[in-house]
Amino acid sequence: MAGTMQKRGRGRRVTGILALAFILVGLYFALIEAPPDAYQGDVQRIMYVHIPSILTAYLSFFIVFIGSCLFLWKREKRDDILARSAAEIGVLFTSLTIIEGSIWGKPTWGVWWTWDARLTLTAILLLIFVGYLMLRSLIEDENRGAVCSAVVGVIGFLDIPLIHMSVYWWRTLHQPPSILRPDKLPWENVHPSMLIALAVNFAAFILLYFYLLSLRFRVGEMEEEVKTLKLYGGAS
Amino acid sequence: MSAWGFVFLAYGIVWFALLIYLGNLKRRFRKVERELSSLRSSGGLKKNA
Repeated sequence: MAGTMQKRGRGRRVTGILALAFILVGLYFALIEAPPDAYQGDVQRIMYVHIPSILTAYLSFFIVFIGSCLFLWKREKRDDILARSAAEIGVLFTSLTIIEGSIWGKPTWGVWWTWDARLTLTAILLLIFVGYLMLRSLIEDENRGAVCSAVVGVIGFLDIPLIHMSVYWWRTLHQPPSILRPDKLPWENVHPSMLIALAVNFAAFILLYFYLLSLRFRVGEMEEEVKTLKLYGGAS
Repeated sequence: MSAWGFVFLAYGIVWFALLIYLGNLKRRFRKVERELSSLRSSGGLKKNA
């Protein structure tokens, strides 16, 4: 057990160091190396954090979905801890996505916010997962709270395909994807130097995400252990 | 505000928020780690007694 914890701790440290390195390289590519966009100018550089933020949030809510399904099926505490940890970080990345989008929207669209389908569905996603986290403090019975949250976690994830398809299904102000397009390859639509900047920043966000998730998961595990020890006085 | 002003505002908020969250997580980690080790040692003492 102690050996596994040591290995996990070492893995976490390596991920943290790699994340820091990628963040620094990503900042260089995003702010210096990548050229300004032909139409949007320098403000387009916000996309190098906006797109990785939302993709990281999607990944996080996918982990919530998996953790919630496993918890509802097997009722194992560690799946619930994983889902709860991922939800907390997912909420952070979704909030950042909305803030970055808003800062980009002001000089590009002329408004900080508009009730566009994609923006509204992203705000709904944020509210669902804020509700997911609040449910636990509102329901006194811890197990019932975990089950209710898991159900919300599964249902909440279904908003993500809606967000992705919203730009095709409704007439929106938000542009359709530039990279993940069914009709074109990424490098046919975006200049390679911009694509590299985006890829490095995406890698930085993913590494940072797994570092944060590992740390948050360990906190959750230790909090559970503290609760057990307090209940049974160290007899477990 | 200039285009670079918006860029720095966005990057500033992102990295500041992530640093604050990381700092908060590290603090929680250390606190619960301390609590756990003190509970384990007191549990161990009880068992030995």
